[in-house]
Amino acid sequence: MSSSKQTLAIYLIIGLVIGFGLGFFTPGLIPEPQSNLVARIQARGTLVVGTEAGYPPFEMYNTTTSTYYGFDIDICQLIADELGVDLEIQDMAFDTLVAACKAGTVDMLAAAMFLTSERAKQLAFSEPYYISNEVMVVNGSNPLEIESLADLEGLDVGVQTGTVEADEIQAEIDGGTAIIAHTYASVAQMFIDLNSGALDAVYIDEPVFEVYSSIYVFRTIYKVSAPAYVFYCRWSNPDLLSVIDGVIADANADGTMSTLVETWFG
Amino acid sequence: MSSLIVFIITAGLPATLLLTAAGLAMGFIIGVTLALIRVYAEEDIAILAQGYENIFRGIPVLVLMLLFLVMTGWPAMFSAALALGLRSGAYQSQIVRGAILSVNENQMLAAYALGMNRTQTARHIVLPQAFRLALPGWSNEYAVVTKDTAWAGAIGVLDMVKASDYLVFESPVTFLPAILAITMIYFFLTYPVTRYAGERMSKKLRSLGLGVSK
Repeated sequence: MSSSKQTLAIYLIIGLVIGFGLGFFTPGLIPEPQSNLVARIQARGTLVVGTEAGYPPFEMYNTTTSTYYGFDIDICQLIADELGVDLEIQDMAFDTLVAACKAGTVDMLAAAMFLTSERAKQLAFSEPYYISNEVMVVNGSNPLEIESLADLEGLDVGVQTGTVEADEIQAEIDGGTAIIAHTYASVAQMFIDLNSGALDAVYIDEPVFEVYSSIYVFRTIYKVSAPAYVFYCRWSNPDLLSVIDGVIADANADGTMSTLVETWFG
Repeated sequence: MSSLIVFIITAGLPATLLLTAAGLAMGFIIGVTLALIRVYAEEDIAILAQGYENIFRGIPVLVLMLLFLVMTGWPAMFSAALALGLRSGAYQSQIVRGAILSVNENQMLAAYALGMNRTQTARHIVLPQAFRLALPGWSNEYAVVTKDTAWAGAIGVLDMVKASDYLVFESPVTFLPAILAITMIYFFLTYPVTRYAGERMSKKLRSLGLGVSK
């Protein structure tokens, strides 16, 4: 092959890559037209929800009955019932969820997702449907009491990698409080170290702590609200968002929500 | 153990088989078209086919799946099949092109001498032999596509790997048995085809004087 042909081929490849890139970014530049998603969902007969199963008690998969179940799934079922359609769960990797929802692969996201400003720039968010607590726990025999995170000066504190708690402790350290932070990938190991005395305290989501509180004798000394759990859908579909918000409001009003919370977290 | 295999087969195997079939079929149509273009068409057009091959052979299939899923908003199953098919087309083009070129050129000259034109020669003389010659290489591509369907779980298709994930979430002790089970199933899916189409067919073609000698 002559070298001019090779140059042509290289230009072709570059052109295609640029074309793909433009195709990816232009939909974000042109404002998406508002479309009636609810009507389309009802016409197709299924509400497609993106999640990542394997995060108890929010979303799990039962291999005996081949069905998804959990707290999020139950609320999504309420939304599907309100729309008069079947619920279809699309289980995918957590990282791909926001992009998949933006692209339209799924109608909404229900994956125990916190409300964060980064996600809110990408997607519209529902009213909070659940708020858990972050708790500071110590050994049952430890007399430690704190008013705020600043009182942890000089103590060994365990947190889980990538959690809001880890961010808060880091912010406290950056602010000048000399906390000795230990980050763990494994929650189980973190509680073993707290039990053995290697850690003075552990800062963690309350639902996760609940699992371990029955195994060890620990004491909660500090409790604050964690960011809210919300559902996400596209900004261009306010009709679906208002249905979601309506279902959450109704479930809060008629006690369905507290029954579900009792079922999954009680 | 047996209920574990039953779950993997009933929940995951259909998607694996469907993706394999769709990927290979789409790849076959694209591959044969590209191969014909590369062998018979003018160089200006052939270079487009070559560009296609260079692009799709250079992108990992998982990245292709994620691209289609995120850029198009198509269902996960469709994105996965498309990624497998487009990528396989680039490889199958190479397999078919090699097979076409390995048919002795004198046969084409003989066909021209008998008054056949180029299309007739390709259709009746070259391609029937080329497809046979392509079979051993194609069986390898079948194995590659079958195994690469395992990536589809990452974008939300319930294939065998995803099914084993679910089993492990429910009970961590099933990790090893589940992985061993899908190992066996993949092997039983690929081995008979590569064994027959690959080894046996190579031997048969050699006895007919076709293909490469050992």
